[in-house]
Amino acid sequence: MAASLQPLQNPVTLSVRTFFEKAARALSTIPYSQEDRASDLDLIRRLAQGDESALATLYDRYAGVVYSVAMRVVKDAGVAEEILQDIFYHLWRHASDYDAARGGLGAWLFVSARNRAIDRLRRRKPLDAPKAEATLPSRFNLESRVAQAELMSKIKSAIDDLPAPQRQALELAYFEGMTHSEISQRTGEPLGTVKTRLRAALQALRQVLNP
Amino acid sequence: MSEHPQIEEMFDEYALGALEGEEKRSFESHVKACPECSVKLEEARARVALLALAAPQQQPAPAAKERLMDRLRSHRLPAAATAQRTPFWGWGVPLFAAATIALAVATGLLVRQNLETDRRLKNLQAQVALMQRQEAAEMARARTVLEILTSPRTLKVSLVSTPTRPVPQGKAFYNPQKGLLFYAANLPRLPSDRTYQLWLVPVEGKPISAGVFETDEHGNGEVLLPSLPPGISAKAFAVTIEPAGGEPQPTGKKVLIGAVS
Repeated sequence: MAASLQPLQNPVTLSVRTFFEKAARALSTIPYSQEDRASDLDLIRRLAQGDESALATLYDRYAGVVYSVAMRVVKDAGVAEEILQDIFYHLWRHASDYDAARGGLGAWLFVSARNRAIDRLRRRKPLDAPKAEATLPSRFNLESRVAQAELMSKIKSAIDDLPAPQRQALELAYFEGMTHSEISQRTGEPLGTVKTRLRAALQALRQVLNP
Repeated sequence: MSEHPQIEEMFDEYALGALEGEEKRSFESHVKACPECSVKLEEARARVALLALAAPQQQPAPAAKERLMDRLRSHRLPAAATAQRTPFWGWGVPLFAAATIALAVATGLLVRQNLETDRRLKNLQAQVALMQRQEAAEMARARTVLEILTSPRTLKVSLVSTPTRPVPQGKAFYNPQKGLLFYAANLPRLPSDRTYQLWLVPVEGKPISAGVFETDEHGNGEVLLPSLPPGISAKAFAVTIEPAGGEPQPTGKKVLIGAVS
């Protein structure tokens, strides 16, 4: 019996193809489901041995927040990407110096991103180039994007609940790297008022993070 | 030692970088000397770090990751030093090895005596077993083929080739003093009353014919050292389809064109 060759739009062929396309599209909208569950500690160890895929996993895990904080500070996609690249490249080159056992890689990456971005914003020379060994032991789990998202919504709602002047003081301090007196100059409020507001905001943050 | 900071939030303020002047200096000098406050400062740093999560969510361009990975590869680290082997040989091991070798030699001698008698028998047995296995395998295969063809649970999918053909390509090597070499590949076969014609398009003036050429069954063709006026500056080369024998100027469809870069 001769096999019947069909034109390209054969219904079965088509449905198999559309199935995979749909599946691929569905998966791409659920980034969490594809996450690599390896711990930061394991990934850092693999990184120190030159394993590129470990860096790719860490990138998937942290690039979103690193880039977001850089963007919020410098408000320039090109500069923000440069910062993002530098931070992960630095991690790659210095992975063996990094004391992963102390944990807190996520927090360290966030601090690096913020510091570098503020240096760029204020056209400062990087005074404190982030040192890989300066880890931040953190009891907050940031090792999955689900955990990050949970913490994110907690922090965002705490900040949203702040009275506007407190929120402004906190944002100027964190995202623009301002000191008390710089905030006072920017807002035209007396120094004492600025301190009170910033402290109130920080207290609220403490409460939401130290239940 | 100076007193502990009066206000707990000062740890967070310091971590933020909001403290300045005298307030900052006295805070620093106290924390440096106070283990308890160092711990508190570490906690505050970790806490303040999380404010990064308050930034509006932005995604880096997908190409950013590619660029990063490229950068990594261009500065590849030397492979990490291989792990040190732990010493394996101890005092007991050589003795054990010697005993094992002696035992193996004795066993070998005994085995050899039996071997020759066994060999013939085993050859015959193996031949029979092989034939049986081949027959069984062929039966099983036939059965599976039949099952696949007849089972209602079998999915039937037709695969067809995609309609892409090899892309026609040409390469010209042209030296205004010495001449022209031209090679083409993957050109479709032409009817007998048509031919491919190569053109040199000068910087100024009309195209100059560089000759006609045929293609073989794989679509390959070539024009080697056609007669051309010397010293012509070329702007481009092109191949057209012309009536058999060629034309003084291009009339047919352009199938290949390449500008001199």
